[in-house]
Amino acid sequence: MTVTLPYHRVNVLTGTKAARIIEDAGEYAHLIKRARRPLLVLGSWSLTTVLGGRQLIEYGVDIAKALDIPICATAHTKKKLLELDVEPASSYDIIEILNHLKDPEWRGVRKEGNHDLVMFLGFRTDLGEQGLSTLKHYAPHLKTMTLCKYYYPHASYSLPNYRKDEQWKEFLDNLIANLKEKEA
Amino acid sequence: MKVVEKKRTRRDEVDEIIRAEDKWEPIGHTPMPELPDLRNWDMRLLKTYKPFYAPMCDLCCFCTYGKCDLTGDKRGACGIDISTQQARVVLLACCMGMSAHGGHARHVLHYLIEKYGRDYKINLGDQVNVEAPHIRTVLGLKPETLGDLEKAMEYVESQLIHLISSLHTGQEGSALDYESKALHASMLDHVAMEVADIAQIAGFGYPASVADTPLVGLGWGAVDRTKPVVLLIGHNPVTAIPIVDYLNANGLQDKVEVAGICCTALEVTRYSDKARVVGPLSRQLFFIRCGIADVIVTDEQCIRTDVPIEAARAGTALVATSDKVCYGLEDVSKQEADEIVSSMLNQGKQVLILEPEKAAEVAVRVALELAPKRNKVLTKPEEIPDLAKDHRLCNMCSQVCPNLLPVGDAIEAAKNGDLQPLVDVFNRCIGCGKCDQECPRHVPIIKMMQAAASWETWKIRAGRGPVMDTEIRKVGAPIVLGTIPGVIAIVGCSNFPEEIDEVAEIAEEFAKRKYIVVLSGCSAMVAGMRKDKEGKTLYEKYPPEFDAGCIINVGSCVSNAHITGAAMKIANIFATLPLRGNYEVIADYVLNRVGACGLAWGAYSQKAASIATGCNRLGIPVVVGPHSSKYRRLYMSRKEEDDWTVMDGREKKLVDTQEPSPEHLITVVESKERAIVTMAKLCIRKNDTPQGRQIKLTHYISLHKQYLGTLPDDLHLFIRRASDIPIFFKKEVMPYLEKVGWQEKPVLSLPTLVGTYPSEVPIDAVVH
Repeated sequence: MTVTLPYHRVNVLTGTKAARIIEDAGEYAHLIKRARRPLLVLGSWSLTTVLGGRQLIEYGVDIAKALDIPICATAHTKKKLLELDVEPASSYDIIEILNHLKDPEWRGVRKEGNHDLVMFLGFRTDLGEQGLSTLKHYAPHLKTMTLCKYYYPHASYSLPNYRKDEQWKEFLDNLIANLKEKEA
Repeated sequence: MKVVEKKRTRRDEVDEIIRAEDKWEPIGHTPMPELPDLRNWDMRLLKTYKPFYAPMCDLCCFCTYGKCDLTGDKRGACGIDISTQQARVVLLACCMGMSAHGGHARHVLHYLIEKYGRDYKINLGDQVNVEAPHIRTVLGLKPETLGDLEKAMEYVESQLIHLISSLHTGQEGSALDYESKALHASMLDHVAMEVADIAQIAGFGYPASVADTPLVGLGWGAVDRTKPVVLLIGHNPVTAIPIVDYLNANGLQDKVEVAGICCTALEVTRYSDKARVVGPLSRQLFFIRCGIADVIVTDEQCIRTDVPIEAARAGTALVATSDKVCYGLEDVSKQEADEIVSSMLNQGKQVLILEPEKAAEVAVRVALELAPKRNKVLTKPEEIPDLAKDHRLCNMCSQVCPNLLPVGDAIEAAKNGDLQPLVDVFNRCIGCGKCDQECPRHVPIIKMMQAAASWETWKIRAGRGPVMDTEIRKVGAPIVLGTIPGVIAIVGCSNFPEEIDEVAEIAEEFAKRKYIVVLSGCSAMVAGMRKDKEGKTLYEKYPPEFDAGCIINVGSCVSNAHITGAAMKIANIFATLPLRGNYEVIADYVLNRVGACGLAWGAYSQKAASIATGCNRLGIPVVVGPHSSKYRRLYMSRKEEDDWTVMDGREKKLVDTQEPSPEHLITVVESKERAIVTMAKLCIRKNDTPQGRQIKLTHYISLHKQYLGTLPDDLHLFIRRASDIPIFFKKEVMPYLEKVGWQEKPVLSLPTLVGTYPSEVPIDAVVH
């Protein structure tokens, strides 16, 4: 068995339960479409990361818009979202949203019930990995999915470590295209 | 008839230690509390601020039953679950932190008692009468001498053995009880810090009762490398002070540079304004490898464990001086100074010297002899392409960087003549050197940073120790009423997520808004490492008083006790609540009425864990940076769902305030912008007057708009009556309140948690 290590070695898994790596954007899209109440959580690195000439947050917006997925704007991402004419459903900070997600009875950011799939985009990998650990251990009622460039062992589903930004961009572009397509 | 001797109880012993017969204040319910004595207070806090865990690891590997997998509902072979194991690790960290400060305190006390005797009087100047708020509050003792400080340490040590004992396999089985013990350990940490700093002030004659302490040189560029340089690394000044004394006694004060990294630098500059602060601990490896130091003197805490290797590589002599950090070196304390100096100069021997005066003499003499023979040449920008010539952009350096920095890309750019990315990396570098170690082609990355680093010099105000009683009298009412919007304490280490400039930016944001800003430790250093357009640092720009719109540096790590102590003094001096053995009442007062918030933006150590957890037991919320998620535990509320009922102390009735203030006790935030907004919110207290609340909300709203673009979406939770609405934002706020269906909330005359949980403290005790 090949063991995948996180890109940043500070996030090496010490444990027994690791993420499933998915490289197929179609499979990711299928998982998202299958979710009843997905949530997209955007972090501050979505403001500072530029991919293919666009800010990462813009990819997040495209993903959210494709399926009307609510956004939780952590850190100071809300300001940029408003500039992009997107009203986030929540502006809890990262730990606050995790703290709510742990509770299966929580009503979610749209007050319709807790989320069953939580996607993360634009976080420091160490903070992201710690947050995913919380959900891995304390939120068995939901699945977590990362959209960042690197492998996150504590997630339920993670992308691999992409060596090149182009690979990551291609994945996100394909994901957005897949999300826009109707499921057969 | 046989006379039955009355059995001596623990209370009898306590009364003897705290001199109960001295009636300076009535004794509260918990003099010298043991582990269970404040447990109900802790449980009350933890009911609102529930532990939030982020396990670093799925396993427990503490005993030979394991490794045990704790994922899902699994328990370890001993029965422990994942939450309890996290809390256990947190307690361990807090015990380490408390012990580090306690060890420092013990060492200083031992040194000073040997020198001056146990009866040596504590004197903190004519402006500090409440000399030891922690010792008074926790123990019930009003310390007068070094011997009294020793009593405080004996109590702390006696508690530590029970706390550590509970960590053993097959002991505590409740996460909440481990948290209570962590809170206990951390409360004691503040006692230990207070002992250490009072002893230092009294014994070394540091400034006290003075705000305007000297401005001293700051930055690696501030060290005159044409002179012999003695570099102090660590926290404990017991050897640093004799070094200054030796220089003065031998007329060498202008001939030898004494510079420090980390808290010893802050200590020695309280004693001599000729000494220099090189910078925070993140500059330790960088500076050692610069080779500017002729002699390194290590004491304790936050010293790299590879200093002997690094010193040898740099051609720098090494004197270790602490029993905690012996490095495997020969203890030459009993040898004559001449013999030691000779072995260091002729054989390149690194030594352990546990006698401070001898260590001081040796360090200076070796520096004087060695300096003329050493060539202190720094890397020049034009040398960079050659140093980087073997670089191949494998990015192993980036992968191992704990701060996730793009080191490889920066080296690639530097190789091609563009130094700016390396400058950016240096400004965010935490100084671990892992990049260097990992490089398969041995590119000397840290050495290259000498060309990228700014060699500018800055100023830092020398640590001033306790906040004066006179200052408390002036600001007590405005803080409690809310018209001073808050006290912002920026403390802790240099594991910063982004550029070190962020600390100065945060400090200035609040100082400009007339908060009181207090700093300590490495954060106090980096706050000084930025200049405005006129070339002034924050310490030159803002007054050094404990007052609105001022910025003060209290000193080193152990000086943090003066920050929490200031909150206690507000309860005592302004509200006239007795401190003596009265922890619950004082903590309850601070939680509900003193709008203070801590920030440990670069916390990395176990000491930072115990300092923050000690703040939490005292009712002071703390914001920490993203790295601190690795501490594994936070104390968080859920503002909309949780019960915010408190007791109205005057009316003696429970009131559902519906107001989440303060919202969290300790939380991680991801960005500087969010930290600023969160801290402004965490200064809100239930006791705020309408005028005070207006001021606090003015800042919360304006900061939220500035950094997040809109009105806060929880604003309605903090508006009790229309009179709380800031006039400046009224036109904007009113439609918002209408939209969210805001309704008036109950207003209290005296908010308190006492009466909402089982406690021997009567509600009347909080009424002043």
